[in-house]
Amino acid sequence: MYTIEHLAHTADIRLHLRADSREDLFRAGFEAMNQIIKPDACRKPCPCLFNQTIEVNSVDETTLLIDFLSDVLTLCHEHKAVFCELSLLELNANHLRARLGGRPANGFDEDIKAVTYHEANVQQTDSGEWETPLIFDI
Amino acid sequence: MSIDKGQLTKLEEYLWELPRDTRPGMLVPARVYALESLLDAILNDRSLEQLANVATLPGIVKASMVMPDVHEGYGFPIGGVAATRYPDGAISPGGIGYDINCGVRLLVSTLSYNQVKARMEELSKEMYRQVPSGMGKGGFIQLSAKQMDEVLRKGAAWAVEEGYGSPEDLEYTESHGCLPGADPGKVSDQAKKRGRDQLGTIGSGNHFVEVGRVEKIFDEQAAEAYGLKPDQVTILIHTGSRGLGHQVATDYLRIMMSAMPRYGIQPPDRELACVPFNSPEGQDYFKAMCAAANFAWCNREVISWECRKAWANIFGKKGGELRLLYDVAHNIAKVEEHSVDGEKMKVIVHRKGATRAFGPHFGELPDPYRHIGQPVLIPGSMGTASYVLAGTDESMASSFGSTCHGAGRRLSRRGAKKQVDAPRLLKELKKQGIYVQAGSHRGVAEEAPIAYKDVNLVVETVHQAGIAKKVARLRPLGVVKG
Repeated sequence: MYTIEHLAHTADIRLHLRADSREDLFRAGFEAMNQIIKPDACRKPCPCLFNQTIEVNSVDETTLLIDFLSDVLTLCHEHKAVFCELSLLELNANHLRARLGGRPANGFDEDIKAVTYHEANVQQTDSGEWETPLIFDI
Repeated sequence: MSIDKGQLTKLEEYLWELPRDTRPGMLVPARVYALESLLDAILNDRSLEQLANVATLPGIVKASMVMPDVHEGYGFPIGGVAATRYPDGAISPGGIGYDINCGVRLLVSTLSYNQVKARMEELSKEMYRQVPSGMGKGGFIQLSAKQMDEVLRKGAAWAVEEGYGSPEDLEYTESHGCLPGADPGKVSDQAKKRGRDQLGTIGSGNHFVEVGRVEKIFDEQAAEAYGLKPDQVTILIHTGSRGLGHQVATDYLRIMMSAMPRYGIQPPDRELACVPFNSPEGQDYFKAMCAAANFAWCNREVISWECRKAWANIFGKKGGELRLLYDVAHNIAKVEEHSVDGEKMKVIVHRKGATRAFGPHFGELPDPYRHIGQPVLIPGSMGTASYVLAGTDESMASSFGSTCHGAGRRLSRRGAKKQVDAPRLLKELKKQGIYVQAGSHRGVAEEAPIAYKDVNLVVETVHQAGIAKKVARLRPLGVVKG
């Protein structure tokens, strides 16, 4: 379970992600990015033409989330595709391995320049919930 | 930490200062160029907290600064200027932005408004046909790996060599359209892949091609030197290094994130990740940034070729030449010499949403401009005005030869979409004689004039502060947006 909250930002997109688990927090970030670049692209089930396994190593959980989303964004631009399917194969505080399934996108609705580290701070609250702010440069 | 007006000291009518003790870690004060009437909007978002964070950059000298078009960004505020000590001060990709060498160029025609008025709608449509715009739109050039490396090394000169421009264009471009420090080998394969089909494309967001006319001349002498006349028709181009530049910034922020602990650097915001300029990581980034900047100059050169083609398709030989007045970067870092506390020193100037505004007698300027100063191009919004300014001696003395870069956003994109009815806005603009060709109504709403500060006030601030002087105001006639 996760939630994606939109917050004010003068020029870019500021979100706050909350999730029941670390895995869901990463799913929330993935879903949030898809909602921005092509909101309806993943509604209809269809075969994935691009299947890719990615591996990310970072210095901590926060950079891991941003680096993971940045890698997915790069793949979207490289293949001109949207990656609708995400299977987290391995995930800990500074390592991730995931399988992605994507489909061609006939243009994007929003051009995300980058997933930024600005204000990002992955943490687990006292109630056990995982959360972080997240800003996309558009 | 939030900042209120009470924490700012008024130094001049247009200059405010946040003292060094505003937040722990600040190495210099932070300065805000703004008339008081612009301050409330600036204090509405996190711009000044971000500016205070910039003042903690290792090696920063004099002050972190923002121009009156400042708004909240990520890490650095947009409209920010920071100079760090050469060679060991910090270089920060966040101080340049993801769109490396986003910038503006102005083409000027020999025709006046009355000569194009009847065909403006047709011209706007032809511009839209010739200049690819919008998300993920590729251009007509597909670069091979070898060609890509040449573009990254040569910048705008590559386009000229391939027949997409004239050698004179290079003389009228900042740094002659090429930073010599570029090393294509420091640009990742992913970045090159993203840029392969993007030369000659403007992209989306606030990027545009705008046909306008000279509405008012403020400085006859400067206007004459720049070749500007009342009612002359102009073309303004605003775009940058596209996906290639975005990827370079992303790649090196990641590298710096891991490298920072080795240099004992802990910025208050991860997006301010930085390393010493003379470190291996700092040098690699600088070489890659220069390459991305060259890509952007080449991009604007190819777009100029597309605009010239559209112009010729509509007006034929009677349309005359479209001459490049100037091309400036507003997201870049450069090694320059400036005066700090009365001493000349080399510094690494970061301009993120700020324009170089070098004064008279700067050797790089073409002969006709040298006694006036460097042209500074300030785009407004699609329904208001844009400006041509000139750099000054004062900007060299006070703001590291820098000034503002645009009107500056005041409303979020969501906020603008809620308030603006795009079809109605398009009709209203058409009534005013402004023809907009855009890929989507959403894009029009997000970039509506209401989303921006009053460009007249922004320009008035820098004019009164003396960090650029007004030369001419342009009024839009036709706009192409992604």
